[in-house]
Amino acid sequence: MKERALPNPGWGPLSALPGNPLMWVLILSEMLVFSAFFALYAAERVAATALFNASQRELDPLMGGLNTLVLLTSGLCVALAVEAVSAERIHRARQWLGAAMALGVLFGVIKGVEYAGKFAADITPETNAFFGFYYGLTAFHFAHVLFGLALLALVTWRTSTENVETAAAFWHMVDLIWILLYPLLYLLR
Amino acid sequence: MTSLPGTRRLLVTWAMLMALTLISMISARLDQGSWQALPLWSAALILLATGFKAQRLLMVYLNLRAATPAWKGTFMGLVVLTLMLIAGGYLVARLTG
Repeated sequence: MKERALPNPGWGPLSALPGNPLMWVLILSEMLVFSAFFALYAAERVAATALFNASQRELDPLMGGLNTLVLLTSGLCVALAVEAVSAERIHRARQWLGAAMALGVLFGVIKGVEYAGKFAADITPETNAFFGFYYGLTAFHFAHVLFGLALLALVTWRTSTENVETAAAFWHMVDLIWILLYPLLYLLR
Repeated sequence: MTSLPGTRRLLVTWAMLMALTLISMISARLDQGSWQALPLWSAALILLATGFKAQRLLMVYLNLRAATPAWKGTFMGLVVLTLMLIAGGYLVARLTG
């Protein structure tokens, strides 16, 4: 690729990445952090397979699947917001960002219902190693959802192409982590 | 600003992501009332669908298709590595548990 064709000239090796290069550094580091947790989960599962299998039965994979569909649709909304703001359709971009935030809140509500059901059944992070991972990984991910919602609100207020593109990249990273988390915790049994 | 995917490509990708999620859920046999270990082909299908979803999300939603092959390879390599970790842990637990 010629230097003048690079999306971010002057950023060294990061100059070939689209959008805000620092967001890609964050995405890479978050993927590595979650991969390390997944490796720990895998090792613990091998050490206590029967316990993990019995505990996994207590989860509701349909709720997890519903949340996957909600989050991926929210991702579409922020991607459409980027398209709109780059075409200088600010009002439309804000509408898409509003829809993305509404779906992000819905994700949180579904997650809250799921947590409430677990706590009502006296299942807490201290119950066993599996639920330690379940609460730890999903709560860590949920903290990213909350931060992402704050970012989306911020760029809805301060709407520019660069701002929306940066917040959208963070939101897609939240999608990406959930895509990997869902089969690990809910589906593979 | 790099060229964006375009509305049509985004909608097609979204439809694919929805379909792949539903395929994963069906492969996991969520319709069955009783809890049973999955056949290995079901687990493989779930992981393949997950990998394809991650690839689509990176290339289209995150627009990584506009980057150099080295960066595309780096991110896809990390996704494959993560899926291998998940698959490896699952398989070892299945075969030894």
